[in-house]
This record gives sequence, C-alpha cells and structure tokens, in this order.
Amino acid sequence: MELTKKILKKLVQAVSKSHHDEIGCDDCFDQLDTFAQMKLEGKTPEEAMPLVEDHLKRCQDCREEYEALLEAMKNVA
Amino acid sequence: MLDWFKRRFTQESSYETNEEWIKALSQPVDERAIELLRSKLIQGLKPALHKYVDRELDQFVEDVAQDALLKILDNIDSFRGESKLLTWAMKIAVREGLTELRLKRYDDSSLEDFKHPGEGGREELTSLTFASDLTDPEQATHEQLALQKVLKIMNEELTAKQKQAMKALMIEGLSITVVAKQMDTNRNALYKLVHDARLKIKNRLEVEGIDPDDLLKRM
Repeated sequence: MELTKKILKKLVQAVSKSHHDEIGCDDCFDQLDTFAQMKLEGKTPEEAMPLVEDHLKRCQDCREEYEALLEAMKNVA
Repeated sequence: MLDWFKRRFTQESSYETNEEWIKALSQPVDERAIELLRSKLIQGLKPALHKYVDRELDQFVEDVAQDALLKILDNIDSFRGESKLLTWAMKIAVREGLTELRLKRYDDSSLEDFKHPGEGGREELTSLTFASDLTDPEQATHEQLALQKVLKIMNEELTAKQKQAMKALMIEGLSITVVAKQMDTNRNALYKLVHDARLKIKNRLEVEGIDPDDLLKRM
C-alpha cells in the first residue's frame, strides 16, 4: 500500500497523541450512557471523564454512537 | 372510564425512577413496561438513525428496538444506575442499529481488496517520493528524509495484522465494526491492536531521537 504525505501526517498525528492510558471501545461503551447523561443535563463530561472523551475523539464508530445516542435522547425527553 | 385513565396514568408514570424500571424489567417482567420502553426506543431511534437509512425506516427501527429489548432484558442486572435507565437502554439500541447498518453497508459495498486479504501485497507500506509543498530545498530534503524514516519504522515495527488494521482504519477510514468482523476479532481487540501499533511507532521514534511533534511542524 502506498502512503501519501497527507496520510503519513495523519498517522504521525495519531502516534504523537498516543498514550498508555487510553481506554478501548468496551470501556467507552460501559461509560457512554453516564457520559451522555451528563451532557444531556448540561454538565461537562469532557472534564469529568477525560478518557471517554479521548476515546470518542479517536474512534469514529464510538463517536457516531455517542452522537446518535444524544440525538435519540433529545427526542424522548 | 375515569378510573381506567387514572390507573393507566399511574402505571406509566410509575416507571420514572431507575428502581421502578429495574423492577418492571426484571422477572417477572411487566409487559406494560416493555411496551413503554419499546415505544420510547422507537421514538428515539427514528430521528437518530434516519440519516443512515434510505428506505423502510419504520420497519428497520422496529426490528432494532425488538432486538435491543432482548439484550436489555438479558443485561438488566448489569445496569449500574449511573445514568437514567432509558439512556442506558437507548445506548444498547443505538449500537444495535448502527452495527447492523455498518455491516449492511459493508456487505453492499465493493471493498473487494479488503474482503480478500493477501492479494497484491496489500499489507506492505511502500516507499514513494512525497511531493513536498515546501519551497526551501533544504527543508524539503529534511522532510523527505523524515517521512521515509517514519515509513521505514512502520515497516520494521508493525506486524502484518497491525499494518492491515491501520490501513483499513486510518487510511481508508473504514468502520472499526466492519474491520473487526473481517479480521475475525472484536472492536475492543482491534482498537488495542492499533493502539499497540501507535505506541510501538512512538517508542521507536523516541529511540531514534525523533520528536513526532517536531516532525509534524516540518511537514
């Protein structure tokens, strides 16, 4: 596979921000309802749960699920 | 008639707290609670998933709500009460729906290269001349050398599986749900595989005396 400069830059950015404390998709999912609940109540889960926030920035599927969860809950409130 | 309305109102509003929901959704299950939860899941899923579903949204959402209900009932004991029960239940339903859509989208797509790994030397990260947008020739040379170095490190440090996963997720932007299925693993294990790969590269860059942030500034 060939890498373009743009792709390599993206990879280096991801490498640069990597750290040992990252949580995986399972841990993120376990805490996602709590994170979303705080957001729905106008609190700041980004500060209270930084590892979940970090994972949501890195993982496209988890981010998509979080955003869909917020959207869903706004419509049943 | 008035009594019937009063009873119905009391019954539905009695699921407001987590404790009431848990009791109603635990054995023996209260069918009214299930129906209420089903209708709320459908109510939330429709606006949340409509942009991903091109036809038969109502039927799709009803099927997802039904499948999610089974999982919710099976896992009610694991609810820790750190959110409202409805938020927890909706989380399960949203994942159910999006997972199905992602896998369906993948089945419908023509990602033949990924469906048939091993063809065309796809795991190898090949060297190429990067077109630099830097005007200073010396800077451009530095950048070329640095980029080739990163490429070399990736090829030397990463396993074939890590390269395959990084290519699919970070270069092609495929869904981790889809890639996990294709690699016969799960999302969490795949994330860990790529996480380990990123840390390996970071560690090797440090050993080589290359600061990734400095490298980015020069790119």
